Amino acid sequence: MRKCFIFAFCIIFAMTLLGSAVLADETMDRINKTGKLRVGWREGSIPFAFVDPKVGKHVGFSVDMTSLLADRLSEHFGKKIAIQPFTVTPKTRIPMVANATVDVEMGSTTYTQQREEVVDFSYIFFFSETTFLVPKDSPIKSIKDLSGKRLGAARGTTNLKAIEDQVAAGRYTPDAIVVVETHPEGFLALKGGKVEAYSTDRSLLEGLRMKAPNPENWKTVDFAIAYEPYGYMMREGNSDIRDFVNNTIVWSIKTGKFFEMYEKWMGPKGVVPIPMSKAYRDYLTLICYPQAADWWKKK
Amino acid sequence: MLGLAYDFDWGVLWRNPYGMYLLQGIWVTIKLGLIGWAIALSLGVLIGTMRISPWRWLRVIGTAYVEIFRNIPFMVQLFFWYYAGPMIFGTSLQYRINAIIGLNYYVAIIALGMYTASRVAEHTRAGFSSISRDHYHAALSTGLTHPQMYRYVIIPYALRIIIPPLTTEFLTIFKNSSIAMTIGVLETTFMSYKIDSETFHGLESTTGACLIYLALGLAVVRLMGILESRLKIPGMIGR
Repeated sequence: MRKCFIFAFCIIFAMTLLGSAVLADETMDRINKTGKLRVGWREGSIPFAFVDPKVGKHVGFSVDMTSLLADRLSEHFGKKIAIQPFTVTPKTRIPMVANATVDVEMGSTTYTQQREEVVDFSYIFFFSETTFLVPKDSPIKSIKDLSGKRLGAARGTTNLKAIEDQVAAGRYTPDAIVVVETHPEGFLALKGGKVEAYSTDRSLLEGLRMKAPNPENWKTVDFAIAYEPYGYMMREGNSDIRDFVNNTIVWSIKTGKFFEMYEKWMGPKGVVPIPMSKAYRDYLTLICYPQAADWWKKK
Repeated sequence: MLGLAYDFDWGVLWRNPYGMYLLQGIWVTIKLGLIGWAIALSLGVLIGTMRISPWRWLRVIGTAYVEIFRNIPFMVQLFFWYYAGPMIFGTSLQYRINAIIGLNYYVAIIALGMYTASRVAEHTRAGFSSISRDHYHAALSTGLTHPQMYRYVIIPYALRIIIPPLTTEFLTIFKNSSIAMTIGVLETTFMSYKIDSETFHGLESTTGACLIYLALGLAVVRLMGILESRLKIPGMIGR
């Protein structure tokens, strides 16, 4: 009887702990306690997060943004917050955020409603288009030309889903949809003629093209089949870290750091030149909500 | 303390369109396994016999085949055949081959068959060498010719002896077929990952895939068990 009572007490105690844990932001608490920001980066998502073969380290736009975030977190907690990198893939990025292996994923993840049900997204910081990389003399000029062609895309990407959905809707009828594991494999399939057009986000395709031995032999087509807004991912229900990431993005826009980073990676001299459209620039200006000059200070 | 909230939804295993994905995946897995097995068995027995043949160059070819295919990881072989294989045929033919619709399926079946053949060959050779020399001598002394000796005495024994290890290989070919996913073959594992990427219910879809492979494996064991008991010679295999 006594044993039963102790057992029941333990269970109730444990449940109280679980209940109270939900109230605080576990991610911020953990960053404070460990002094580490666990961040998920991609390896081949050029120019957002990729491993530079020359230095063997992660670099890119989102990697620079992570540094800004870590700086602000250091100011916030009044101690050095170190970045602990984890490599994520399109397949593992959502589970790794959901099971708290990483605190925040900063790469090039498309914001979708289905993903939003499992993780939380920051503000959208970039817009890419799902389009195709083709040989420079390719006959593919418009969406209609995709019929009767062999199209390629990587497993688990929104690009593959977009093609499958449009084929199911009867917008075009390709001969085959060839699925590959990674973007470099997709480019290899395109070079060998296994596919006649390889699909992913335009920025990533330009990145692949620029890394090829002869970039002038390839081009991205002028049209797009879908639009992809990118956001950073946090674990569901941790609004403090999400606010902090959003504040960092807005702050970087206000201080001009965002545009410096854009210039560095996607400007005319950047790794992948992508001109910033007026609509995109307007979007960045419009999302800047009023913010205290020292917003990162603990109140 | 980091609690992980996860709502189980087993409906992703049969709900439209996910149930259909899995069924298509199972069908592809069965095709890969059975056709691959047909190649593995015929090629494997042939190579295995070559390895005990009295002609030296046949033995060399057989040994080379077994050592090459048995010692390279299957995934590497698959990538080699799919990406580098067509290049062997020269530039113009390479583009013709790469343009074949469903090339990855053919590559997967052939690669599975050739890889498993090297293992079947070893079992076949082991089967032959496990038969005592007395059987050979006894057969010859009754007046049988060499081919007759193999046809009526040695092969019937050898094939029965290797049924249990062949069961393992037959099981393994179904399990190895999941690696074909890496070159975009839409088999069971691919489909279970596809369901995961569309619903984020990876736990359920992977469990589903596990059960499918388990059921396929048990069916193979049962089938081979029936074969084994039908063919057994008292005192040879099976007690």
